[in-house]
Amino acid sequence: MSDAELPIFAEGLEKYFGSGDELVKAVDGIDLRIEAGEIFGFLGPNGAGKSTTIRMLTTLLKPTGGEARVAGFDIARQADDVRRNIGVALQDAAIDPLMTGTELLHLQAVLYGLPKNQHRKRAGELLERVGLTAAADRRVGTYSGGMRRRLDLALSLIHEPSVLFLDEPTTGLDPMSRISLWEEIRRLNNDGTTVLLTTQYLEEADHLAERIAIIDDGVIVRKGRPTELKAEVGCPTLFVSVPADAQECATEVLERFGEIRPSAEGSLGVGLTEGPGAVSAVIRQLDEAGVTVKNLELHEPSLDDVFAEATGHRLEGASEPGNPAGAE
Amino acid sequence: MTATTAVSRESHSAVPMRVSHLAQTWAMSKRAIFAMWRQPSLVVPSLVFPLFFIALGTSSFSRAINLPGFPEVDSYLDFALAGAIVQGVLFGSVTGATAMAIDIENGFFDRLLASPSTRTGILVGRLAGGMAYGAGQTAFFMVVLIPFGLTIKSGVIGALALIISGTLLALAVGALMSTMALRTGSSEAVQGSFPLLFIAIFFSSAFFPRETMTGIYGTLADYNPISYLVEGMRDLVIDGLTWSALMRALLIPALMAIATIALALRSLRKRLARS
Repeated sequence: MSDAELPIFAEGLEKYFGSGDELVKAVDGIDLRIEAGEIFGFLGPNGAGKSTTIRMLTTLLKPTGGEARVAGFDIARQADDVRRNIGVALQDAAIDPLMTGTELLHLQAVLYGLPKNQHRKRAGELLERVGLTAAADRRVGTYSGGMRRRLDLALSLIHEPSVLFLDEPTTGLDPMSRISLWEEIRRLNNDGTTVLLTTQYLEEADHLAERIAIIDDGVIVRKGRPTELKAEVGCPTLFVSVPADAQECATEVLERFGEIRPSAEGSLGVGLTEGPGAVSAVIRQLDEAGVTVKNLELHEPSLDDVFAEATGHRLEGASEPGNPAGAE
Repeated sequence: MTATTAVSRESHSAVPMRVSHLAQTWAMSKRAIFAMWRQPSLVVPSLVFPLFFIALGTSSFSRAINLPGFPEVDSYLDFALAGAIVQGVLFGSVTGATAMAIDIENGFFDRLLASPSTRTGILVGRLAGGMAYGAGQTAFFMVVLIPFGLTIKSGVIGALALIISGTLLALAVGALMSTMALRTGSSEAVQGSFPLLFIAIFFSSAFFPRETMTGIYGTLADYNPISYLVEGMRDLVIDGLTWSALMRALLIPALMAIATIALALRSLRKRLARS
């Protein structure tokens, strides 16, 4: 498939804010080639440039430099054509709380030019699809966070877009709501929709996306299939919690078993080059050095390790041994 | 989300190349109108306070109509109707513009921009909502006050002219407030303009004729376009149907609307260019 035919293509995409000493490079030269029918995950912490990229690709923000095509149309010169062919669910589910679910879907149908005789049927189908039929005539202000997200998704699907942009679709949702939204995204993808989603959840990127791009400080630092990226990290990470006064001594011991990896405060991480078999030797040598081990956990390579290796720091809240997948 | 329904793809075509901007604008207007009525806590004050002021004025200033400089009127109620309409419409217009600022704050504005909708229609929809409310307010004040002795000397035609005048004023002030909403994107900034509108009304002939005013108060009222608008509307109530009154009641808000719509469109273009 040529670049022009890709559902999402970007080359050297940049967005700078401010100027002079106050210049902020929110997105600094991003390249993307997303294939038709793919779920592509954009993973990164808050402020990494994920939403800015989405806003540029959905024509809400003009790029400072570079070029991008979405659904075959140039985002700068053919913005209206791009808008006709994409579905967008932005961060925080921006929905008018005074309107009902049905009214919002009808409004969306008018905005996208659907024939009037299809409005009711289409709204009914989508409400049923996202499990909101019973709440269809209630004002959105009475909806829970999960219901708002589901309605947001339904709104973005009113015109059956071939490309769907989801900006942090599950942020702030409880685990059950998150999983049900994942199922819906997978179903959509099975129907042939190309999905670009941003997330700060490692687990979401790992389970949902076929390919991911890790973004930090406006730059893509890793790109590929989650399994391949994790395999590149190689060895598992051993996290050891030791008393504060023994950290220096413990670090010296751990360095004998592999490279020190970023970890949460109060914990030390080491990539075990000889694999899980080296754990007993680590414990023995720490004991011989007089270091009391408070806690010890062995993690197979995760996307957090990929992120840590690429950026030198871990995703916020993701590095604690008790929360290896970064689920919040 | 356990219920799963296959959405029939074959029954829907892709988004048409030409989407009706009229239908989009009408849909956004309806949204704006419904939004007004669904926020009674915001709407009621703009209906009740002008009536409260008029009731207070009618009971307190009933003998003021005999002061030198006061026009010949049957009651202070007839004199004060125009001021009440302007007061109500001005306050009501803040509500519509605040709703637009809230749309910007909570991202709904972006949802509209991400769709192939008409950009101007987003603004026009809001203004149309404000106009409908302004018309409703004007009619409401007249209907409520007629049983209390209100007499509109220009008759039905004059009453219709008053409704049109109130509608045009709602458009003018709505566009001005929308300019602020588009420039700041802040509902607080829009609501913060409320005292300015209050001052603009008080430094006009809304509650007393300019002939009774002296000093800086009188000078400001002389320069305030609201004075001339109110006087045009008032003359329709107390003098009858004259071309002079009709022109002032309709032309002044129409000219104000042309100027403020130009400002609002400029602010919309700037906001779109910024993004």
